[in-house]
Amino acid sequence: MPIPDQIPSPSKRYPLTRFGLVSWPWLLPIVLVLLFVAVLLWLPWQAKKLEANERQEQLIADTLWVEQALQFQFTRNQESLSLIAHDFIHIANDQTQNTQLLERLRLFVSSNHEIAQALIFDRRQQILGSSLLKLDQPAQIEVLRQTYLQLNKLQFLSPKPQCLPHPDPKQIDGMICRFPVVQDGEVAGNVFVNYRLQVLLDETVPWWFAQENELRLLNFDEKVVAKRAAGGFGRNVYTHNRALEFPQLNFTLHTNSIKTEPKLLSNLLVVSVVILSLGLVWSLIALWRDINRRLRAEGALRKEAAFRAAMENSLVTGLRARDMEGRLTYVNPSFCKMIGVPADELVGRLPPMPYWAPEATETYQERFAQILTGTVQPEAYETIYQRANGERFPVLIHESALVDEHGKQTGWMSSILDVSELKRAEELSRQHEEKMHANARLATMGEMASMLAHELNQPLAAISSYTTGALNILEQPNLEPMHLRLALEKARDQAQRAGQVIKSVHEFVRKRETARAPLALDELISNLLPLVELQAHSAQVKVQVEVQAHLPMVAGDRVLLEQVILNLSRNAIEAMAQNPPELRHLKIVVSQIHSNESDKFSTQSRVQISVQDRGHGINDEVAQQLFSPFFSTKSSGMGMGLNICRTAVEFHGGQLQHRPHPQGGTIFEFSLAAITGEAKDLQGNDSQEK
Amino acid sequence: MLYIVDDEEVLRDALGWLAQSRQIKNQSFASAAAFLELVHGGIPFSEEGDCLLLDVRMPEMNGIALFDILSAQQLTQRLPVIFLTGHGDVPMAVDALKRGAFDFVEKPFNDNNLMDRVQQAMTASLKASAAFDVQKRLQSLSQREREVLDLILLGRMNKQIADDLGISMRTVEVHRSNIFEKMQIKSAVELAGLLK
Repeated sequence: MPIPDQIPSPSKRYPLTRFGLVSWPWLLPIVLVLLFVAVLLWLPWQAKKLEANERQEQLIADTLWVEQALQFQFTRNQESLSLIAHDFIHIANDQTQNTQLLERLRLFVSSNHEIAQALIFDRRQQILGSSLLKLDQPAQIEVLRQTYLQLNKLQFLSPKPQCLPHPDPKQIDGMICRFPVVQDGEVAGNVFVNYRLQVLLDETVPWWFAQENELRLLNFDEKVVAKRAAGGFGRNVYTHNRALEFPQLNFTLHTNSIKTEPKLLSNLLVVSVVILSLGLVWSLIALWRDINRRLRAEGALRKEAAFRAAMENSLVTGLRARDMEGRLTYVNPSFCKMIGVPADELVGRLPPMPYWAPEATETYQERFAQILTGTVQPEAYETIYQRANGERFPVLIHESALVDEHGKQTGWMSSILDVSELKRAEELSRQHEEKMHANARLATMGEMASMLAHELNQPLAAISSYTTGALNILEQPNLEPMHLRLALEKARDQAQRAGQVIKSVHEFVRKRETARAPLALDELISNLLPLVELQAHSAQVKVQVEVQAHLPMVAGDRVLLEQVILNLSRNAIEAMAQNPPELRHLKIVVSQIHSNESDKFSTQSRVQISVQDRGHGINDEVAQQLFSPFFSTKSSGMGMGLNICRTAVEFHGGQLQHRPHPQGGTIFEFSLAAITGEAKDLQGNDSQEK
Repeated sequence: MLYIVDDEEVLRDALGWLAQSRQIKNQSFASAAAFLELVHGGIPFSEEGDCLLLDVRMPEMNGIALFDILSAQQLTQRLPVIFLTGHGDVPMAVDALKRGAFDFVEKPFNDNNLMDRVQQAMTASLKASAAFDVQKRLQSLSQREREVLDLILLGRMNKQIADDLGISMRTVEVHRSNIFEKMQIKSAVELAGLLK
């Protein structure tokens, strides 16, 4: 598709594109979106981290709480047992009271399950009371006393409490503690408590804590002394170690949460964030592609529009679009230029249009009505338009239907071609051709005349010479009559020869008379009409033909009569050249006239042909010379036309007459004798009007 | 002698009759070719003078072509040509006139006027013949004889001529008698008249 040079290409129009400045508005949203996505991804990660921290802290707090609970329980036991031991030592010799105290000790131990056994020793390392054994079994008591003494012999008198792991490896969760009973600043006795750490753990740690964590108590060898795992094993994700301090013995409290790490993807937030981000990116890309496509389409549209505008502006053909009601919806510059009216005065107008010539309004209305009913012919038609300055010009119009994208007709598009130049050229060429023909005829005529002159010259010259010679001889004294006689005889011969030449010419002319034949004038006129209209059209003359019905035939030479009518109508058209267009009317009337109007042809009916114009008329001076040979009022005229017409009409036994038109102008008329009894019947052809 | 060249027999006859009635000797030819035969044989120039009455429009060779041939042979001075033309031939005849034809007469012609012009032409041809003769005699002189002739025309005596040319008196006399003989004259006065 050739694009005219003047249309700027999009890159020329927007030079910034070349330097990428147009793309930076794109960069910003992309960066923002990436940032947004990054934040959205970072937030759940951060939340996970926070949650993990929180769980860890929670675990630590819980562990501290457990440690405290264990310590507290241990301390309370120590205090309670110390009180009981103090009372024992104080009332050592009272048997009944002793029994009561023993009951107290047993009661205390049985209500504290973590204590497997409690023993009270006096300052002489004798067992005063035990939670398990009655004092009436001295042998067993002695074994027990020995066992504990072995365990703790060195520190028996130390005022500091002391704890030891259970000597029996089978009871790894066992712990034996010694609390000194101090009286008046001296160690008055000792309490031995045999703890079962497993039970201590089970009793002291609340169930909800054990449900969420696995608890282990480790000794200094990192061996598990006791453990509690009601909710399952720990996951080793959140763990905490806490030292559990007993007098002179340390354990480690190890807590291990059964909770796993917080899962990132299972998090609904994360999923939705990821999905939303993906959706956002996808929609951004889609938007970007869509905008790109739109931009491309827009560019193409702009290019197309520019191309179309250039095409329309470069057209010499006028373009006009009308809607279904005949309202003008579009005109191109060429059309405006043609008729000299700006586009804004035309678009939106309904008929009558400013370019309609008043005299042709009927034609337009008729045509317009045809268009509205949709019966317009596809072929081009010719009419006359009027420019803003009143000048008329012929146009060739081609109509076609305007169809929208749904296939529905929305109006009409017409192309209008100013054919005045074409017409002028046609007219010029026609005139030129006519002149050539006339010249050719003249040349032939000249040639004939020259030949005739030569033919006649020879005998005439000879006659002249003979007679002159004869006269010369007559003047001479010695006259010889025989001499003269010879010369005069020769002269007579030559005169006869000249006469013969003239006679033959006359005979040649007379031969044409035999060309007469019966003619139907209506037929002759309708054959002739296109020729007359051709002339009339270019001179914007309206032609009206009135032919009476049932005309009789006439005898005549078709060619001559055609020449007469053509000549007369051409004269009429030329006579109206100065008229305003609405007053250019040529009327040809053919009618029968009756005999009594004319004395000369009283017995015959005649057909009259009259050619009427509304031109400048014929003044008296011109009228006198009208039929003189070589007289013409036209600059290019030969002065032969009317003469030939008259001769031709007279040849047909008629007379060419002219009279002024009552409404201005001239009427030329002549009549031809009708052939009687041969009236040709014509049907339905009463009158033709055009 | 009047020569008539015309393809039309009637006209030849009529013109011959007319010339005869004016006592002009004439001779007719039916075509240019026939007349050219006479020309090739050498025209017997007559005492009364000569003239050619030539029709322009003729079949085969027309009058103008014949005139061109005569003109090329430098005969039109001693044989003046009068054209007879019809209406259409006038421009051709005028052109020929400019190139040395004596006259042209348009048909139909005034017969006695034509004969008057014929007689004028014959007189003119006589003069032209004489001049042609003198020219021819002059050309027969030698270089020295021309020099002597010029001095004679200046009116010098034989003695003066001998001095001027540096030759003897006797030689001058021989030249002089030769000149007189060649120029067909008897005296210096006659010579002057001839070369006027």
